[in-house]
Amino acid sequence: MRWRRTLLILALLTPGLGVILLMIGSVFYVAVMQSFGYYNLVGEDSFSLEHWEKVLGSKQFSRSLSYSAYIAVVAAIGSVILAYPIAIWLRRPFRGSLAISAVLKAPLFVPGLVASFLFLNVIAFHGVVNQFLMWIGITDEPIRMQNDRGAWGVVFLQLWKNMPFALLLLTGAVQSISDEVLDAARDLGAGSFARFRKVIAPLTVQAMQAALIIIFIGAAGDFAFQVTAGPTNVQSMAQYMVFLKDSFGRWNQAAVVGVSLMILALFGSLILAFISSVVLKSGNKW
Amino acid sequence: MTALRSIDVSKVFEDGFTALADINLSVDPGEFVTLLGPSGCGKTTLLKIFAGFYAPTTGRVEQNGADVTSAPPEKRDTAMCFQSYALFPHLTVAENIEFGPKQNRVDRDERLDRLNELLRQVDLERHREKLPNKLSGGQQQRVALARALAMRPSVVLFDEPLSNLDAKLREQVRREIRGLQRKFGFTAIYVTHDQSEALAMSDRVVVMSGGKVEQIGAPEEVYQRPETAFVADFIGSANLLPFDRVDDHVVETPLGRLTVSNRPDPNARFICWRPEDAEFGVSEGGNIVTSDISERAYQGAYTDLHISVAGAPDQRLHWPGGASCVGQSATFRLPPERIRFVRGEIA
Amino acid sequence: MVSLADSGATVAPKKPTRRAGALNRFLMIVLMTIVAIWLIVPFSMAVLWSLVDPETGWNYPDLLPPSLTHLRWVEVWTTTALPQAIANSYMLAPTVAVVTLILASPTAYCFARYDFAGKGLAQLATLLPLVVPGFVLAIFFSSLIFSLGIYSRFLSILMAHCVLFLPYAIRIMTVSFGQVRQDLIDAARDLGASPLAVFRAAYMPALLPGILASLIIVFIQSIEEFAIAFIVGAPNFTTIPSILYSYLGYNFIRPNAAVVSLILVVPNVLLMLGLERLLKSANPAQTGVKG
Ligand SMILES: Nc1ncnc2c1ncn2[C@@H]1O[C@H](COP(=O)(O)OP(=O)(O)O)[C@@H](O)[C@H]1O
Ligand SMILES: [Mg+2]
Repeated sequence: MRWRRTLLILALLTPGLGVILLMIGSVFYVAVMQSFGYYNLVGEDSFSLEHWEKVLGSKQFSRSLSYSAYIAVVAAIGSVILAYPIAIWLRRPFRGSLAISAVLKAPLFVPGLVASFLFLNVIAFHGVVNQFLMWIGITDEPIRMQNDRGAWGVVFLQLWKNMPFALLLLTGAVQSISDEVLDAARDLGAGSFARFRKVIAPLTVQAMQAALIIIFIGAAGDFAFQVTAGPTNVQSMAQYMVFLKDSFGRWNQAAVVGVSLMILALFGSLILAFISSVVLKSGNKW
Repeated sequence: MTALRSIDVSKVFEDGFTALADINLSVDPGEFVTLLGPSGCGKTTLLKIFAGFYAPTTGRVEQNGADVTSAPPEKRDTAMCFQSYALFPHLTVAENIEFGPKQNRVDRDERLDRLNELLRQVDLERHREKLPNKLSGGQQQRVALARALAMRPSVVLFDEPLSNLDAKLREQVRREIRGLQRKFGFTAIYVTHDQSEALAMSDRVVVMSGGKVEQIGAPEEVYQRPETAFVADFIGSANLLPFDRVDDHVVETPLGRLTVSNRPDPNARFICWRPEDAEFGVSEGGNIVTSDISERAYQGAYTDLHISVAGAPDQRLHWPGGASCVGQSATFRLPPERIRFVRGEIA
Repeated sequence: MVSLADSGATVAPKKPTRRAGALNRFLMIVLMTIVAIWLIVPFSMAVLWSLVDPETGWNYPDLLPPSLTHLRWVEVWTTTALPQAIANSYMLAPTVAVVTLILASPTAYCFARYDFAGKGLAQLATLLPLVVPGFVLAIFFSSLIFSLGIYSRFLSILMAHCVLFLPYAIRIMTVSFGQVRQDLIDAARDLGASPLAVFRAAYMPALLPGILASLIIVFIQSIEEFAIAFIVGAPNFTTIPSILYSYLGYNFIRPNAAVVSLILVVPNVLLMLGLERLLKSANPAQTGVKG
């Protein structure tokens, strides 16, 4: 009877989980194989490290890698830092709190390209923000915010799009802490910062890590924000990969970048999650 | 000097609901005071005002003679035991107990001394490294107690600490709390809606109803000499009868003309007597009542008899024997000194 | 968006906070102002840009366009591939939604109603499509279909979208299957119901909100998806995001981008609001005695 049950479970999992594993697995396989010289559209398949050497040796690659890593770290940490106080503020419902959280979460439902466009209008050279800044006299000249070298436009868009996601996860976690537990901490002498460090943060660490990981991966692989609002002197990993593929069909090199991007996404997000939990645990040691 | 004192404290919530009105209460150092009343009468609200979670709308709170009305909970020398225990789920038993001392920067040796002593006191030495969700309800309750006591507070505030325990355990923890209080000498304010808990544990009972204090007194006092109909009815069971004053020692009631030894209070609305006050087997002298029995319920130690007379439906008395020896009617005597006069309304 | 299913089923409202004092009101006003700027300014700029008169334009330093017209809309509609892109997107998305639901349901049923070794790991593995960067997936998926010799763009995007959005559907349907009450199933069978009748009596009421939520969410995601639609579809098979990209990228035409942005986002917002309603109204029907 046991094997029949096992068979049934496997049969049920096949169309959903099975399809996912098959597809993600083969895409991953193709990417890795292509980076080593197989699955060529034209020419002979043969194992070679040439593509890795070429890409890893290029200056553009290391710039892309560190740029994407930088954007991902800033987006993930920035979103969480912005979302925490709001989540705590919205912990207990009050009049208007539902409306606030609905409005704050609205960017979740705005597609990335549309978000880019909306903000290009606002932060454009002659856009509202610049006109306003000049009007109140902060600057005499419009400030370059789109395609700026510091990537502030991209960072801003990342935060706009991802903070709501962090907020969604953290609100749920913060709301599940009971009032009495927080009251008890107060009663035992914990001020508001101590309550955050010693009670709220450790009890919401999983939601925070989930937010960090997902935002990091999304931002590391960003294409739309970078292409529309990013600096022109550096490419993000996804942009670089598409560029390699499109110019002379350098599929193998694109594969190297793609595999590197996956490695960055995987390890970067895990390291970030690990560091955050270490930091929080150290908070518990006093 | 009083350990804790509320002066004309009232609390009106934002929605306009008046939860407390003019509460005046003084608690002596080392005293065990119970706030007793039905659910919703404002006990928790008053406790939270003492702890500092709520600011009173009017009035003041003093601790050891100093005004603490606007001190936040983290700055007050009070510790609270919550109804749901409110243990920190991510901390072990030992870490929970050490939380307060660490916040207050008690030095390490002192902290460990307190921890070890308290763990022994509440018999949790074997569980010190466990997380709260691995403990039974009674054990969690004891951790909450130890956590509060680790602060060495001069006042401990209990909010229905036993309501989530089963009856047997409740009695045991009740005795433990009293034992710890005697040992550490803290002042205790203890909220409950269970009258037997209040009578068994307290030095003084504060009976509350609808945000007001009905009566404050020693357990015997509130039981034997209730001042209001509410107190009489809420603590134990009471028979309440309207009356007309005939003279200083005689009143006219639905049970007939009764002699009383207490002077009728001019504000009194009812006379009150308890089911166990009825004396059977006496047919001489005054205050003899005879009535048909409408219902009987055997309770083991006694039989609960219900009698009904015009103007006084459903009076109850305790017949000290078995149900089978009761006839169709009951004749009993109400001793004049047991008849009390009470103010207020019947709920 | 992952936990939309949960957020629909949030806990009953608690009592209003006791500290909702002046501070909250102040914070709220500040925040509402920021948020108004946050959402209202960008969206009104988009609307204005879509209505700019090509004759006069909208140039610095005019605060508002000198004249408005709907000509842009007509022009974009008649001279670009937008109608075809809309047709493509709105054909693709419903198909993706239905196929994804069909693929997700058995797995969700299994997660909700069976316990087996490695279930936690299996549930975690269903999230894989969410953690592979979209463009990596898109590029090497296109490479994969080349080598498999699949030439239908529609079919390719359909496949990729289904896999990409399976995590949402599986999650939502797992919650729904978990809400099917065993006592209702037992009662129906006890009363002699056929399997179909059992399904209608016990499963359908619990599943319906989840089915609709899954369809709507996958539909919206599919309409919005850019990486795969662009890499796999280009240049023959255009969807709305690809068109928008063409006006945003190297060939920046602001008014056209405004028109396409609005066409892309407005129906989705309406659908999203509908979904919220749906989840709210569907929930009370689900609550019954536990255990
Ligand atoms: N934050 C609040 N806002 C409005 N009313 C409240 C609030 N907290 C408690 N109340 C009301 O005040 C009354 C007393 O509550 P409480 O002190 O908790 O009663 P209890 O005696 O059962 O502990 C109740 O009727 C309750 O509904
Ligand atoms: Mg209470």
